[in-house]
Amino acid sequence: MVANERSGMTGDLGFASHGGVDQVAPLGNGLEALFVSRSGAVMITGWIDDRSDPVDCVNVLGAGWSVRFDGASLGRFRRQDLEGAAQRRSAYPYGYFDLHFADGPIAMTAECRVEVRLRSGAAMSAVVPVRDCDAEELRDVALTYLAGAQYFGDPVVTAISCLERGMGDHIVSLNNHVVSQLTAQPYVQRFGQPGGPLAGSIVVCLYGKPEFLFLQLALYAGLPGMAAYEFIFVSNSPELAERLLDEARICQTIYSMVSTVVILPGNAGFSAANNAAAVVARSSRLVFLNPDVFPRDMDWAQRHTALVADLPPDQTRLFGAPLYYDNGSLMHGGMYFDMDQGVDVVDRKTMAWRLMRVQHYGKGAPPQDRTYLRPRPVPAVTGAFISVEARWFETLEGFSTDYVFGHYEDADLCLRSLDLGFPAYLQDIKMWHLEGKGSTRLPLHEGGSLVNRWLFSSRWGQYCSPALLGPQPSLSAVRQPAPLDPDEPLTSPPARAQDDAPNIGRMLSGRRSPATTGGAQ
Amino acid sequence: MNPARPLKVLLLSVFHPELVRGGAQQVCHELFEAYQARPDVQTTLLAAIDPTFTSLYKSGAGITGFDGREGEYLFLSRDYDPVWHKTGDIQLINAFVDFLQLVRPDVVHFHHFLLFGIDLISLTRTVLPQARIVFTFHEFMAMCPVDGHLVRTTDQSVCTRATALRCHQCLPEYGPETFFLREAWMKRHLGVADHFTTPTRFMIDILRGWGLPQDRFTHISNGQAHRGSGRVQEPLRPRRNRFGFFGQFVDAKGVHLLLEAVSILRAEGFTDFSVELNGDNIRYASDARRAQIEAFLEAEAALPLGERIVTLNGSYQADQIGARMRRVDWCVMPSVWFEAFGLVISEAWSFGRPVICSDVGAMAERVTHEGDGLAFHMGDARSLAESLRRACLEDGLWDRLSAGIAPQPSSHQMADSYLSLYNRLLFG
Repeated sequence: MVANERSGMTGDLGFASHGGVDQVAPLGNGLEALFVSRSGAVMITGWIDDRSDPVDCVNVLGAGWSVRFDGASLGRFRRQDLEGAAQRRSAYPYGYFDLHFADGPIAMTAECRVEVRLRSGAAMSAVVPVRDCDAEELRDVALTYLAGAQYFGDPVVTAISCLERGMGDHIVSLNNHVVSQLTAQPYVQRFGQPGGPLAGSIVVCLYGKPEFLFLQLALYAGLPGMAAYEFIFVSNSPELAERLLDEARICQTIYSMVSTVVILPGNAGFSAANNAAAVVARSSRLVFLNPDVFPRDMDWAQRHTALVADLPPDQTRLFGAPLYYDNGSLMHGGMYFDMDQGVDVVDRKTMAWRLMRVQHYGKGAPPQDRTYLRPRPVPAVTGAFISVEARWFETLEGFSTDYVFGHYEDADLCLRSLDLGFPAYLQDIKMWHLEGKGSTRLPLHEGGSLVNRWLFSSRWGQYCSPALLGPQPSLSAVRQPAPLDPDEPLTSPPARAQDDAPNIGRMLSGRRSPATTGGAQ
Repeated sequence: MNPARPLKVLLLSVFHPELVRGGAQQVCHELFEAYQARPDVQTTLLAAIDPTFTSLYKSGAGITGFDGREGEYLFLSRDYDPVWHKTGDIQLINAFVDFLQLVRPDVVHFHHFLLFGIDLISLTRTVLPQARIVFTFHEFMAMCPVDGHLVRTTDQSVCTRATALRCHQCLPEYGPETFFLREAWMKRHLGVADHFTTPTRFMIDILRGWGLPQDRFTHISNGQAHRGSGRVQEPLRPRRNRFGFFGQFVDAKGVHLLLEAVSILRAEGFTDFSVELNGDNIRYASDARRAQIEAFLEAEAALPLGERIVTLNGSYQADQIGARMRRVDWCVMPSVWFEAFGLVISEAWSFGRPVICSDVGAMAERVTHEGDGLAFHMGDARSLAESLRRACLEDGLWDRLSAGIAPQPSSHQMADSYLSLYNRLLFG
């Protein structure tokens, strides 16, 4: 993909050399695309044979602004199309790409001067056409390059090492800029008015599948206790706006269920969409639900309301639920963390890596396996069903919008809650999670997953090691009880003493600060 | 409601039998006519049509009249989602709400949900909480996403157990979870109905097995309006070797099997019989079946007149059935699905024609092998061929089976049965 990307190509033009070195390398170099966004983000991609004289930096010089791409932080990838010409058998990543922010406001021009400086002091420059794109498009291009590039060694590890060298923080910043724009002025339309005080607001982020709006309203409406709940659907797909509003009107006519539709003008991702929807909630309890989650317990709403009212607050401040596949087996009974680690060898250099992995308790277990169903504190719960006190969600500042599109923001939320003294709980309200293969994932979504895994690992890896790792974490707050006697009833554990809470944060340390947010204006 | 005033019944039909032939709409319309003849019933018919009937769609209307007839209306379906069986058109929904509020029926009797949307059952309950809702199954579309026929696409066998996995095997482009959800969606709306009826008893077993409430089913046989002279004095014929097929030329009706049976007999040198095909809609057959049928008919037409066995008579209206039936001795019903009722069986019987049919579902329930007809193994052209040969050659067989045909309920008897059910639901 990257090798075929020729738009904005300048390689054929070549670079004018100066600084006293005419011949740099047998293959030369070429900048193939220069993307510039008025948000201040700039992305370059090209190739260079710098085997004998490594790149020191690439400078993009605009009208009153400039960007310096450090040679050591460039993402490097394989270019098979150049390997034959290089006549070398050993692996060398001639390709490069990087995303950075300008040092000032961007004044868009048709062309920019780009100079490549090598460590020897040699430099080359060329005037390069600019591809003007908005921040969202640029984010998507960067993610597509990240996921679509060919790497030597393990592609996930190598891509994440590119992020670690600086590009990751810049993508996160750019994403936050995109998200803040997309969520600045959501369109909100209400359908029906609550007949009394609401026990909860069910927030559903639709993933481009409008049918889930009417399916959820049909299958939740009329269940015992549901009259005390409202639905809030939030859509990241503006092209579906008219359809969703029509469906909501139809559903209001048929089911008389109180609902709200929030339309965002683009894909702001799971976190930002849910945060935007939470703002318009009219109750003190938020229930974040995936669109493919449906009640298995028909009295779930009654039980949910009763649990929140009757259990000690520390057990209901933030909790999840057992989720089941359509085939009847358990899909989720809480989440825990594992650490993948290994070594990658690239160009005769070893590179150790550690990446976090989120696992589900009881995935695929028989439906009544009580070990995973019992109410208990867990390291995290899936975002497919999270019930959280609205004020606590506010205290936690919502889902982190640093994560691109989706994944890991649920675990991140739970860890932040734990860090403030309140672990997530699992309560025994059984739901279906009709998780299928879903829609086709594009390379940009794979790129988002890479960013998220890198971000989650760098943010929480040290914090979780070793006390929060594995299915039996040693941290007392989330230590898992012994396997159940099959005849033992399922009950909630006793309330934890309040003064235990502040200790949890002190027991764990080393949480990485959120990624830098500078750059995007 | 006040028992002294006429019972107000709204009948909902998929298509109108004058626009599209089909058993469900035929039965619904005959019930409508039977109600119209009664002073104790005030009835309205709402027949759903699809946008292929462009000229019947009035701009901006969701529901309109039908050809100036009293009490007959068309539901102008549009923006219909064939996967979830619902309309996405809010104006149409609003038109239906207005219609319900204007008609104010005591009973809303759905004879299908197709083109209306399954969720209109729930909407009816919301708009008319006091009304009784009756749903008549004319096939298994709620249960089976493959045309409601319960025939597996994998091997053409009949299916009695629709599960998420088995439906996925039939339609692999959708994951099992889609069918899990489809079932929940269908049951959510069907569950709103006060009562279900089926024209045959075996359907009740299948639908209960699917999970619909045991106590909400009643079997009410389809009745039939009186058409033509019915049984007449048959001229004595030395051989009963004329067979007729009546119905649509779609895969499920199995017309291809009949043609295969003809080929088998012809190859064996047995040619002293004739087959008349009555019907059309070959455009709805699969490409393979359509090609098979068309190739046979083309080859047949190329034969010298005296060597032809099969004649294509084309489509027919209800009032032409008598004439068509009198041209044959036997009615062949080679369906490769269960059939919900088999209206053709009733039509054949009303003219004293024994039926040769597949040995499953409604056909097996209604036709008694060796009593009033002959059964052959479903999908087996050789078994059908043997039945045809026997029907031609066995002395006295036709007379015995024709004499064994019992009278069938009339449309007025059917109306009595439904009114009895409505009254039970309304007044206990």
